[in-house]
Amino acid sequence: MKVPLRWLQDFIELPTTEIETLTTALNTVGLTVEGVEELGIGWSDVYVGRVDAIESHPDADKIRVCQVDSGEGTRQIICGAWNFEEGAHVAVARPGAILPGGFEIGQRKIRGVQSNGMICSESELGLGDDHAGIIVLEGEPEPGTPFSELVELPDVVFDLDITPNRPDAMSMLGVARDLAAFFDTSFRVPEIVVPEIDGRTPVQVEIVDALGCRRFTAREITGVEVGPSPFRVRHRLAKVGVRAISNVVDVTNYVMFELGHPLHAFDADTIVGDRLVVKRASEGETLVTLDDIERDLTPEDLIIYDDKGPTSMSGTMGGARSEVSGQTTRVLMEAASWDPPTIMYMARRHNLISEASARFERGVDPSLADIANERASAMVAALTDGKVLAEAVDVIATPIEPALIELRTQDVQRLLGPGFDAGYISGILTRLGMSVQGHEPLSVTVPTFRPDLTRPADLTEEVARIHGYDRFEATLPTGPSGGLTTEQLRTRRLASVLVGAGLTQAINLPFVSPADLRTLGQPGGSELLTVKNPLREEESNLRPTLLPGLLNSIRYNISHGLPSVALFEIGKVFTSEPDASDPRLPVQFDTVGWAVVGEVGIDGVHGQVIQADGAVSIGIWRLLAAGLGLEDVDLRSSSPPGWHPGRTAEIVLAGEMIGHVGELSPRVARDFEIPGRVAIAELNLAPLTGPVAPPISHSPSVFPPVDFDLSFVIANDLPVAKIVRATAIAAGDLLESSSVFDEFRGGDLESASRAVAIRYRLRAADRTLTNEEVAPTRNAMIRAAEGLGAKLRGA
Amino acid sequence: MDPIAKLDESITTAPENIEAAETLSALEEVETRLLGKDSVVGEVRRSMGGLEKELRPKVGAKLNEATGLIQDLLDEKRNELQDQELELQLRDEAIDVTLDAVSFPRGRLHIIQQTIDEVIDIFVGLGYQVADGPEAELAWYNFDALNTPSTHPSRLESDTMYLDWGDPRDEVLLRTHTSPVQARWMESHEPPVYIVVPGRTYRTDTVDATHLPVFHQIEGLAVDENIVFSDLKGTLLHWAREFFGPQSQVRLRPSFFPFTEPSAEMDVSCFACDGGEPGCRVCGGAGWLELLGCGMVDPNVLEAAGYDPNRVSGFAFGMGPERLAMVRHGIDSIKHFIDNDLRFLGQF
Repeated sequence: MKVPLRWLQDFIELPTTEIETLTTALNTVGLTVEGVEELGIGWSDVYVGRVDAIESHPDADKIRVCQVDSGEGTRQIICGAWNFEEGAHVAVARPGAILPGGFEIGQRKIRGVQSNGMICSESELGLGDDHAGIIVLEGEPEPGTPFSELVELPDVVFDLDITPNRPDAMSMLGVARDLAAFFDTSFRVPEIVVPEIDGRTPVQVEIVDALGCRRFTAREITGVEVGPSPFRVRHRLAKVGVRAISNVVDVTNYVMFELGHPLHAFDADTIVGDRLVVKRASEGETLVTLDDIERDLTPEDLIIYDDKGPTSMSGTMGGARSEVSGQTTRVLMEAASWDPPTIMYMARRHNLISEASARFERGVDPSLADIANERASAMVAALTDGKVLAEAVDVIATPIEPALIELRTQDVQRLLGPGFDAGYISGILTRLGMSVQGHEPLSVTVPTFRPDLTRPADLTEEVARIHGYDRFEATLPTGPSGGLTTEQLRTRRLASVLVGAGLTQAINLPFVSPADLRTLGQPGGSELLTVKNPLREEESNLRPTLLPGLLNSIRYNISHGLPSVALFEIGKVFTSEPDASDPRLPVQFDTVGWAVVGEVGIDGVHGQVIQADGAVSIGIWRLLAAGLGLEDVDLRSSSPPGWHPGRTAEIVLAGEMIGHVGELSPRVARDFEIPGRVAIAELNLAPLTGPVAPPISHSPSVFPPVDFDLSFVIANDLPVAKIVRATAIAAGDLLESSSVFDEFRGGDLESASRAVAIRYRLRAADRTLTNEEVAPTRNAMIRAAEGLGAKLRGA
Repeated sequence: MDPIAKLDESITTAPENIEAAETLSALEEVETRLLGKDSVVGEVRRSMGGLEKELRPKVGAKLNEATGLIQDLLDEKRNELQDQELELQLRDEAIDVTLDAVSFPRGRLHIIQQTIDEVIDIFVGLGYQVADGPEAELAWYNFDALNTPSTHPSRLESDTMYLDWGDPRDEVLLRTHTSPVQARWMESHEPPVYIVVPGRTYRTDTVDATHLPVFHQIEGLAVDENIVFSDLKGTLLHWAREFFGPQSQVRLRPSFFPFTEPSAEMDVSCFACDGGEPGCRVCGGAGWLELLGCGMVDPNVLEAAGYDPNRVSGFAFGMGPERLAMVRHGIDSIKHFIDNDLRFLGQF
């Protein structure tokens, strides 16, 4: 909300007008300053002038030659505007004047005729957006009067961000009240004098929905002459960002900014019958609002009816049928107290969020309705030469009681510290408009303009706010000892192993497109967890797997010229199954996945690199399993949909299948527009990061090893891990290490078979091994392999 | 000829011979010539047996002298030649040190992860634990348990993503903040509570330079006996100094959140300029960076968790790692965080 300092000063005696001090004060009390605009700075030498004569320009049709007295005798000024006549009072920039933007006014010839200065428009003076014509001043001010005296300039406009709990602060009055409490200075509400004539406002009001409308006040002003507002009103409205419309409508806006209560003006002659009814709309009803849009009303909409039907929407926008126009002579001024949620939903439903709805949905003080109505009626009467009928309509459907809160000093001290005594507390609360009686507990009566204050904690905040958050010390609580859990530490370790392997962590939005799932050959129907109100189609299904996100990220990088991409992600996946531990929630758990394409590993300008494929993925898995100290791990050939059927393993950890590691089906890769092979994996996170037994150390042997290689011919579908495991068992305690160092197919080998070469190292802990000891072990190992169908090569 | 004279001559001519060798193999030939079987030394050694008895010690001594001297000269020359050869080899095998001949693969943690880890480690250092909770969450934990009125606009479908799932009485949504974890933790733990909650959160937002429908939050909660507003301030000041540097200042301004009372916005003094340098790339001259919301835990929240607000009090705060990373690293668009472009992620 924009708050011009000069307007604010109607309500408060400020100890300073220094911008920095005021900004700090406003920020301190929680009225956050989002911007400060200084108006009327950068121009000078603008005075009131009277146009004494107007002649046409000899050489131009569109401009006129004016003789203007601006306090130093009559001077000739050329003007291109046509919205004034002889005798008009205008704003004159004399030669030498500087206008906003540093534009200097001089004496010059326009089409051969001398012009001494400029007659100004609002926009030229930076006062508003009206540049259709020049400013015509009301009230015949004395020529030569500095223009700034008429228009409250210079001025400072603070743009405040008002939090939703402070409807009262959405007005000059409310901001002034907070500042007065902060500066401990005087605050005044200007007296309202209503020029009344006898008469009774000739409508009755019936409130059918007492929850939706607590109070409805209406007052008639008669003999109204609708026209433009005086410059002073228009100018204040311009400063707060509201466009001037007419003297009647401008007053409703003016009073809303001044007191915080929105108003609505009806053309009283357009109301059919003499009865207004406030009730919810019926299905099928429509109402054409002021913006000429026909709106379909819903049974939740709160509507004002006359005998003909809906005539106005509560708190959001009036109806076109009862709009104040140039012909209006009788105005019915409405100030009503609407239910905040009703207005909130209605404003959103009909896309009618406005200054008025913003106030009503926060909660406008019902006690203010009659005051705002009086103020507005008095102003309309003054600006339109109208008369206010003495008797107003004021229907209170739900009585308004100020809240009473019992506040103990210790309630405040428990949150703010021991320094706050009863006297200090009641001083602040009193300055904020509350009345404080008694002692321990303090009995605090909260005025109705602060609906947000209902409990001791709310009052504690008020004390803290006006005391100033800046004045609190900075201390630390003596917390107990914390730390990361095993799972959290091991998740970090998992990530660092993958980072060490050259993978970069990705974060994708956790949504999935059913088309991507279909491409992966995975179900994309009712198994998916779906969002009821997605903003975009892409955000309607929660992912059951990390893979589509990773593959799309791979494609994104490739399409930007990066052919080698290694990404991993840790995140939640979802399904529409109920969760076993809390069936009110769907299944959701963390997985870790990766996707790697292109070159991997150490890259050298002189050497070759490895291209990502299923084997690379298994290599990453082995590194990860080793890095996490996982034991009892089995890899079993597997062919889940979307994966390469011959290059994928399911990972079985301690007997539990925890996911897959391998290669993306080349068909899927093609559909994802990824050239080349893609190493992929997705594994449940929890089994990987659960606690593992600490490794038990054994001292490395100091005796020499015996190394030998065995080469076996085995069937392609016999997992080499089985050979390794069987030979290891046969070697017993003597085996220190074994590794497959070669795999060979083709040549003189039978098809469907291959040769694998394994290097073994035997070593005893306590002696040097002899050939006599090694030979039988080696034979036992060979026999073990042969038992699985392997043939020793070259044997 | 007298063996002693022969040996003397050998000694005399040895330096010349040895010096003439230019390579290690030439030196080996010289060695054979001077000390080998057919050399003077070799001949004399062989003839020792045939010498008269009284001559033997003298000749023997001379033989040892000659062998020793020649051997020393050879060794010296060998060292010299070896050094020379190594010198040549080193010159030949020089590499261009500016050529990145070998690149080890380097992965990174996502900058958001790095930011989260850094923030939570600061709180772990203060004795906090790290808590986690479901992202598909009951509306009760996301709103009701946190004192959010049933009519609060944040509950509207225009702000919150609801799931098409489950029993309508137990409405399930994608959590709009990490605060429901607060409520869950308090429900299952007795005070004292000191936790930080990093995690993913969801809002109905369109993607632009500063908004994502899914982003992260780091929430903190402390509930204990005798926790006062000053503790909130001190804790966040400590965090700011650890994260942005020891010169950091904090500023609290009153604000409003349903789950805290009093509530505050916290600003941290700009780390890039010394307080409001005009045109500062980070703060734009404001001198302060708006970074997080915080406050004293509302008594209704404590009560909903079964705590006695007359016995314990606490504070809570929430910050956005995306915002922290953007401010700190000068990242111009939040969209970078979800593109997973290696050229972006590789910068951190």
